[in-house]
Amino acid sequence: MSNVILFNLTTVLFGVASALYLVALYANNEKISAFGSWVCILAAVVSTAALGVRWYESYQMGIGRIPVTNLYESLVFFAWSVNLFYLVVEKKYGSRTFGAFVMPIAFATMLFAVYNDSSIQPLVPALQSYWLHAHVITCFVGYAGFAVSAGAAVMYLLKARQEASHVSEGVVGLLPACKTLDDLVYRTIIWGFPFLTAGIITGAAWANYAWGTYWSWDPKETWSLIVWLVYAAFLHARITRGWHGKRAAVLSIAGFLATVMCYLGVNLVLSGLHSYGGG
Amino acid sequence: MADEKRTLPPIDRVWNFFISVKLAIITLIILSVTSIIGTIIEQNQPPEKYHQIYEDWAFALMDRLTLFDMYHSWWFLLLLVLFTVNLSCCTLDRFPKMWKVVRNPRTKLDENLEKTLSLADRWKKKGTLQDWTAKYSAALSSSFAKPMVTDEGNEVHLYAETGVASRFGVYVTHLSIIIIFIGAILGNVFGFKGFVNIPEGEAVAEVPVRGGDQTQDLGFSIRCNAFSLETYPSGQPKAYKSDLSVIEGGREVLRKTIVVNDPLQYKGIWFYQSSYGQAGGATAQVAVARKDGTPMGSLALAANEDVRVDGYGIVRGVNYDQDLQGNGPALQVVVEKPGQPAASFWLYQGRPDLDRQRNDSLVFSFGGLASKMYTGLQVAKDPGVNIVWLGCALMTIGIIMAFFLSHQRVWVRLSPAQDGRVEVVLAGSASRNRLAFEKRFEKIQTGVKAAGQ
Repeated sequence: MSNVILFNLTTVLFGVASALYLVALYANNEKISAFGSWVCILAAVVSTAALGVRWYESYQMGIGRIPVTNLYESLVFFAWSVNLFYLVVEKKYGSRTFGAFVMPIAFATMLFAVYNDSSIQPLVPALQSYWLHAHVITCFVGYAGFAVSAGAAVMYLLKARQEASHVSEGVVGLLPACKTLDDLVYRTIIWGFPFLTAGIITGAAWANYAWGTYWSWDPKETWSLIVWLVYAAFLHARITRGWHGKRAAVLSIAGFLATVMCYLGVNLVLSGLHSYGGG
Repeated sequence: MADEKRTLPPIDRVWNFFISVKLAIITLIILSVTSIIGTIIEQNQPPEKYHQIYEDWAFALMDRLTLFDMYHSWWFLLLLVLFTVNLSCCTLDRFPKMWKVVRNPRTKLDENLEKTLSLADRWKKKGTLQDWTAKYSAALSSSFAKPMVTDEGNEVHLYAETGVASRFGVYVTHLSIIIIFIGAILGNVFGFKGFVNIPEGEAVAEVPVRGGDQTQDLGFSIRCNAFSLETYPSGQPKAYKSDLSVIEGGREVLRKTIVVNDPLQYKGIWFYQSSYGQAGGATAQVAVARKDGTPMGSLALAANEDVRVDGYGIVRGVNYDQDLQGNGPALQVVVEKPGQPAASFWLYQGRPDLDRQRNDSLVFSFGGLASKMYTGLQVAKDPGVNIVWLGCALMTIGIIMAFFLSHQRVWVRLSPAQDGRVEVVLAGSASRNRLAFEKRFEKIQTGVKAAGQ
């Protein structure tokens, strides 16, 4: 299938971009990281094309459905979202050092995807709904926001430790200022949070239409609520109690770990209604 | 500070406890951590299953803590109540203050306010107070928002704001959570959830309620006319279809074929395609005709069960072969006529005329096996669900208001300087996203300063 070839190419490009960003960081070379950005843009084009081709190929097979319905597809879609979210952040903040911390997440996701079944399977009856589109897209934009936030939080913790010991040499010295990182941790969450909320709401609406219950404490639902609660706690701590810096960064990382559990852990470890983990 | 706390009357201390954001954060964390338990321990399974997994003492302890149905346990509900009370108190405490601030904005840039604002600029201009007031009002209108002018004779204040709705986002969000809870409670009290299996051709008027021994009277009956299963060429299921009729007062009032994700609704009760299965064993369809070819109808033969044909005898299906001697599916039939020895013979599905060779008064032809199916339906009535959706819509709006709008305020103060010129102070603040506002403030600065140049 040509879509899989394109996705494999995307994996390579994500790997190259991650390597370029890391090398650029160590060598303190702006040219290399600029090259990394171009690779990211190319990867965005290739992966978008791959999604389109996969969608088209599903129609050719007489199945015809959006390519976000099994583990392989959800992983590549997540990596696609992270890459795009990252490119927006890079443009907005004018700093390419984030790439070294965010693109490896996209790369690792694609590597994991490659080891999963990439064939296009027809949709089981439960997934045949227009809610699928709204539900999956909102959830994954939210997840991507949280992934970028966690990357920034890791950078913040590294940078803050260095600033505390008054050194500004080495790799960490090249990271953006603590203030910028702290701001990024927060601002990506306030983008991710409404999307996660919309994702949970569309999921509830869909469940109600398919099964007659908008909330049944299924492990997936419960974990999405846990993620929501952690970020709600983050936002309250940040806005009304002035939690900045280290504590905020730790909470952001905790939130992302909960997100990973919600996204993958539930399917791979627990059982429930979201069947794609089995595929 | 500590002394002050101790002398507070108890009621105030209780109030202070419930209006604290610290409590909110702690409750959020406790709710999220305890919620994990129910995702690890499978909920609402039969006790035998738990006994297989856990030791007796562990089972007893977990049962005591209602960990097998934890989301409905008293302690989890108590946490949700605490969460709601906290949320309500915070809102009741803060909303009136916020409302006051919004209704009576500080329209004058006095010294105290000026000190608290990090974005400020000052300069002097030749001319009159009135002249510059008019120019700066116009400049502020075009670069930010139409200002309110407070003329105090020797001093003039301009005040402009945008995005005041952002202040209410948090209250809309909090209110939405309470509305969702109200909807959920209404649904639980006045609604029901049930599950029923209906064999093809049969109807039910009441359904067993989930999680209890009771049944719910529907007030009408629902009949399953037919069930069918479609598969993809690969054999995977493509669609489960139930042809349903609603029967009320002996009349069919509604008919719809439902599939997963497309339910039927009548009088607020919803029927969802959920499962299916075979109702009883398969039956063999056998067509009967006279020797001259006149059709006499058909028989449905269940395995080894006698079927009487008047004026003929007893017919019984005794054996079935999917591919008898390479000639395809076949049915073995035994016929017992009064006073005659029983006759046994095979009927091939693919050769309907073969039975003529028997030269009997009736000719049988095998039309294949049919199995009666049942459809499994989720049945739900939830009068609170639209309130839940209202809450969800409000939550989305509230979050967008809270995070993507920013209450931005700009003040200008004009006063006569000692050297006869007009002293101008421009200052601004934003409730959110200060970095973005800094850039906007720079533009306002340029716009205002350019006025009258």
